[in-house]
Amino acid sequence: MAASLTGLLKPWTPRVFLVRWSRYNPYYLEPEFRKEVYSKSEAELTAEEKEQRELKVIRPIKAATHGVNSSVFYDPVVSKFTNMMMKHGEKTLARQIMTQTLETLKRKQVEKYHKASEEQKEEIECNPYAIFHQALDNCKPVVGLANIQKGGKNYQVPVPLTDSRRRFLAMKWMITECRENKHRRTHMYEKLSQELMAAYMKEGNVIKKKFELHKMAEANRAYAHYRWW
Amino acid sequence: MALHRLSFRLRQMILQERHVRTLRTSGCVQQQEAVAESEPEPFSVFRTQESDPACHSEKHVGQFYTVPPAHVRIVFPYGLPRRYIEQVKTFNEACLMVRQPALEVISYLKKTDFSKPALRYVFYGVRGSGKSLSLCHTVHFCYTQGWLVLHIPDALRWVKDCTELLPSSYNTSRFDQPLQAVEWLRNFRTTNEQFLSKIKIKQRYVWTKREFTEEGSLLGELVDQGISRVKSSSDVVGALMKELRLQSGQPESNFRLAVAVNSVNALWGKSNIMKEDRSAVDPEELTLIHNLRKLMNNDWTGGAIITTVSQTGSVLIPKSAYLPQELLGKKGFDTMDPFVPVSVPNYSEKEFESCYLYYMDRHWLQHPQSLTEDGKKELIFLSNRNPTMLERICSSL
Repeated sequence: MAASLTGLLKPWTPRVFLVRWSRYNPYYLEPEFRKEVYSKSEAELTAEEKEQRELKVIRPIKAATHGVNSSVFYDPVVSKFTNMMMKHGEKTLARQIMTQTLETLKRKQVEKYHKASEEQKEEIECNPYAIFHQALDNCKPVVGLANIQKGGKNYQVPVPLTDSRRRFLAMKWMITECRENKHRRTHMYEKLSQELMAAYMKEGNVIKKKFELHKMAEANRAYAHYRWW
Repeated sequence: MALHRLSFRLRQMILQERHVRTLRTSGCVQQQEAVAESEPEPFSVFRTQESDPACHSEKHVGQFYTVPPAHVRIVFPYGLPRRYIEQVKTFNEACLMVRQPALEVISYLKKTDFSKPALRYVFYGVRGSGKSLSLCHTVHFCYTQGWLVLHIPDALRWVKDCTELLPSSYNTSRFDQPLQAVEWLRNFRTTNEQFLSKIKIKQRYVWTKREFTEEGSLLGELVDQGISRVKSSSDVVGALMKELRLQSGQPESNFRLAVAVNSVNALWGKSNIMKEDRSAVDPEELTLIHNLRKLMNNDWTGGAIITTVSQTGSVLIPKSAYLPQELLGKKGFDTMDPFVPVSVPNYSEKEFESCYLYYMDRHWLQHPQSLTEDGKKELIFLSNRNPTMLERICSSL
């Protein structure tokens, strides 16, 4: 909606500059934090990018959020997962758990790698980021269910999901599963690393939950036409 | 991935031309080479084949040497820092970097005059700069030279968080720590197996009405007495230290004593332990600490005392303190004075390169960006070349 309104906006400078506020006038542009964009020379820019640069001279830019940085090791998916794990605003603790999870995943795999024979070494994946991304991809549902009321009754109707919704559901299931269904005395990073490894191998409770959702959607296929969007 | 490894090996082989000549001139390595490293296995910039600390020299600075697996189990049953033990388990090998401070102390130890009083060496440095592992390198050297190693891996464990505190049977104003003493005696037995049957005790010790150790019995019996009778284990530790101290300079004894204490500032600092009436316990009132302090004096001959001072884990000391004067306090400094201070700095550029290549070789740096030039610059910036910080950052990459 903001994108369609942007063309209709009149040139406008804000009277008061906003900081630490997430609702901006659609006139504001998104910040560009990646270093490689700025290191491009004039010749490499396409027409669109040149237009963007012209706009940036005139229009105000939103403040960048806290976790975003221009480090080469920055990963938006990992950053989003850390934010979802955070409780009571304790970002340091959430980040510590995240780094410990990645470290545990890597340690187990590297240990297996060094003890394995030559043929098995090719199959062992040691990169914790690859395991993390693959595990989350394996947990993402393809269709979701929406509650639609028709003729006084509520029906669970299978509905396509946007990419962001799918990513959110996968992360949410992973975190709730680790918080609730595991033994009380294990650390969060141990629980997470076990569950992520299981999801990478396409086993475990989160994968089971995804398949159950798919089965429900398949069972309610008859009501699919109740969806009007 | 395979292609990357291949090009990496080719790069190493090209870089090796200069190093091959310098390595071949050292006497110790020639014997090792005769055992045969087959041709396809290239020499590495960051690794050395020399696993005997006595043969390490300036040429090996910055290179990793592998501690033989048999030695790891015997020399360091409880000696290594926690994160290093996990690293050893993950990489399936125990590699220590040869660094300048440890080499310096080893060279002094080679030249010690055993008829003079024991010299005290103190490793000091900022947090995480590698003091504990330098001490472990020196202890490995002492072990390979056949010295008797009295290694206290962490003096802070004796001064903090003690669950069981018994009033001492020998002196009622002091306190015993049976659990810590038994654990230490077990580790001592593992490290110094060969000396237990050779050294004889010169004095009669009475533990209780019916238990006593006769004069002339073996050291092994004393140690077994301490392990089996937990109640008198702290006194056994004290007796052991006294015997070794008295016997070490004598002409008829055939062993050299190396006392290695990590975090020696715990002996003169404050302690965490509280008595039943919630008043703090002075370290002087603990039997183990009392006996260890006697060992720290340089009134015995025939060995050396190697220590570190560290702020990490010490009780009620500010984080910015890292110099020996600040950490030992007035009493500690007066006791340890004169000593040889050895500064352990952060990694130099060459050492950092070496560590980086080692992690790459062990497949520890998995993030694709960490293998690029930009990633390396970022690692240098984030860790400031501090060994511990580098290890912690690389562990999640």
